[in-house]
Amino acid sequence: MVYLFLLIAWGELFPSFMKKNLYYKLGDTGHMFTRFQEANTKRNIDILCLGSSLSYRGFDTRIFKAMDIECFNFGSSSQTPIQSHLLAKRYLKQLNPKLVLFQVDPEAFSADGVESSLDIIANEPNDRYSFFMTLKILNLKTINAFIYGCYRDLFNRNKKFNEEQVKNGDSYIKGGFVEKELAYAQKSKIPKYNFEFDKKQKSSFEALLRLFKDQGTDCYLIYPPVTSYAYKSCSNIEVFDSTMYSYGHFLDFNQQLELSDSLDFYDGYHLNQNGVNKFNKSLLKIIDFQSN
Amino acid sequence: MSFNSFDFAIFLPLVFVSYWLIAKWGIRVQNLLLVIASFIFYASWDWRFCFLILASSCIDFLLGLALGKQKNSKKRKLLLWTSLASNLGILAFFKYCNFFLENFVSVFSFFGQEFSLASLDIILPVGISFYTFQTLSYTIDVYRQKIKPNEDFISFLAFVSFFPQLVAGPIERAKNLLPQFQTKRVFNPTEARDGLRQILWGLFKKVVIADSCAVIVEYTFTNSYELSGSTLLLAAFLFSIQIYCDFSGYSDMAIGIARLFGFDLMKNFAFPYFSRDVAEFWRRWHISLTSWFKDYVYIPLGGSRASKLKVLRNVVVVFLVSGFWHGASWNYIAWGFVNALLFIPLFLSSKNRSQLDNIGDDPNKNILRETINMSLTFMLITLTWIFFRADDITHAFLYFQNMFNSSLFSIPQVEKKGTALMTMILILFMLFVEWIGRRNEYGIEKLLLKKSKNIRWTYYAFLVFLILMYAETNETPFIYFQF
Repeated sequence: MVYLFLLIAWGELFPSFMKKNLYYKLGDTGHMFTRFQEANTKRNIDILCLGSSLSYRGFDTRIFKAMDIECFNFGSSSQTPIQSHLLAKRYLKQLNPKLVLFQVDPEAFSADGVESSLDIIANEPNDRYSFFMTLKILNLKTINAFIYGCYRDLFNRNKKFNEEQVKNGDSYIKGGFVEKELAYAQKSKIPKYNFEFDKKQKSSFEALLRLFKDQGTDCYLIYPPVTSYAYKSCSNIEVFDSTMYSYGHFLDFNQQLELSDSLDFYDGYHLNQNGVNKFNKSLLKIIDFQSN
Repeated sequence: MSFNSFDFAIFLPLVFVSYWLIAKWGIRVQNLLLVIASFIFYASWDWRFCFLILASSCIDFLLGLALGKQKNSKKRKLLLWTSLASNLGILAFFKYCNFFLENFVSVFSFFGQEFSLASLDIILPVGISFYTFQTLSYTIDVYRQKIKPNEDFISFLAFVSFFPQLVAGPIERAKNLLPQFQTKRVFNPTEARDGLRQILWGLFKKVVIADSCAVIVEYTFTNSYELSGSTLLLAAFLFSIQIYCDFSGYSDMAIGIARLFGFDLMKNFAFPYFSRDVAEFWRRWHISLTSWFKDYVYIPLGGSRASKLKVLRNVVVVFLVSGFWHGASWNYIAWGFVNALLFIPLFLSSKNRSQLDNIGDDPNKNILRETINMSLTFMLITLTWIFFRADDITHAFLYFQNMFNSSLFSIPQVEKKGTALMTMILILFMLFVEWIGRRNEYGIEKLLLKKSKNIRWTYYAFLVFLILMYAETNETPFIYFQF
């Protein structure tokens, strides 16, 4: 009880630098608060996108709309299969998509999933799914955020919050896409890493694919384009690719689409609007081709 | 499976409950459970090294029995040397082999002989230096007829592999710990509560203070070539705090856990940063190792009962060996040597035993002067830690070079200023608590014990809160596990 009291008091009274393991921020990067609000109004869509910022900054719902496809982008910052699984369990029946575009990348599959869990805990009332996610991640930051989040949900402390649609050069577009002000990437150093399928991520990923199968929803695993140096920073990318191929329809756009590191990206990982247009057109062609 | 892991948080209660449930079946069954638990604990790093402990235990157990039966002094000496050679041989192979190979090649190339020798791909078993010294103390004490040889292999195995102190000490003496495995343990709620308090305080020092400092220290030592002198000085200060909280935190947890099982381990730290000179510091820092070196190296070399020159030699040898014990690298040897240099003037002026009480105890001593001495000692010790923390000896010297220039008087370059400020606040809190409790076994041993239960429990809950709020969420291994 003393712990709960102190946690809540700390969360309410102290500045962020004094709350090392309590990160709870409504409407943090990625417009997740707005995205959740919009998701609650959606029913029976054509395509659901899941994944990290590569998803919500990569799949432009306007381009899909122009092709008469109702698409909702449920990407969130650093989303890993653990969070994608939670979102699917919460929303799959309601959204009832015909197809899921599941954005994959080796970093998300090797990650612990803490960062994205905080985003999801803060921006939507917590339920049993977020409780099980907290148990699965078992990290102090997630546990503290969940406890504090439950308190805020219980006392309706987030009801007055309104998220700005444009902030820090990011504009929220209906359908969940986030458009960045046009900018161009300057080459930066990205440390090398090894893809290692995290056990927890693997079990969530497999459970997620089973969920899609049970609901009769098709799923594409998509690795959107990143800069060539970000792509090469994974020292065993071939292991990642072969792992993904073993799970179903996998499209690695880094091998299918030629883009310019400087003209089509605004940083090492994210496409600018020029790149998004090229990627989405190419993607829609392939999906059309294969679904026909 | 470190003490600060979730796995251990499940492992410990399971072993604890099983241990006391089977108490009615006798100490042999309890010892067997401890052996199994200890091997599971050790196997969580690498199961192959369990065979190493087993081999080392078998050798010393059998040699101990042989020493007990043997009356011939030459044969007894031979048995002792067999134990020394096998234990130190294993240690030398796993820990020092590559160091000697590399230096062998360097010496040859210094004399113009190009010589190549591939270094061996050897993994250092966790805590090898600790349990090697513990088993050595057993055979040496049996040889010296200070203890009788143990005839029960299970209790001997439990003594060598006892999981609370297996990987980072305290390095126990057979004389103290072994008899405890041979006597009936009775669950004592007061002891257990006290043990839990000690674990709590150790955990706080480790995961809140040491791990928070580690983030800044790691960054600064890695980028020391680009940062200002003041930043390097700050990192050196933080490393002093880090290593203390890391190692004494571990020791507190080890002692506390052992108490839960009815064992009494020796004290390993006695608030060393409240020392008023370097000699006092070395009486209070890593006590189980310094006393080991005193008993098994310093005294056999002649100790203090020899000519001044020989005594000086003995002091230097002990410090150098102590440095080398920590790691197979020149920077550890340099660290030992610098400490010897700081100790020798006190020794020559016969002031090495002038501070035997606690700071502030003697009303005849000027507290201001004592505080100044304490601060100066801390500063000197902080500088010596640079040798310890540096990647190698060159890095250590460059660190000093980059630190002592005009940028020493600039504002330190710290990336997350808020987090750094919070870390400093927590350090002050820890030092304050330890200062109050400096006459006790550990920081919070008697803190608020005379207050009401509600106040005490609120205080413990506050500590738990601080741990959960400020612990580093990436599980960081204890520094001394690498030794």
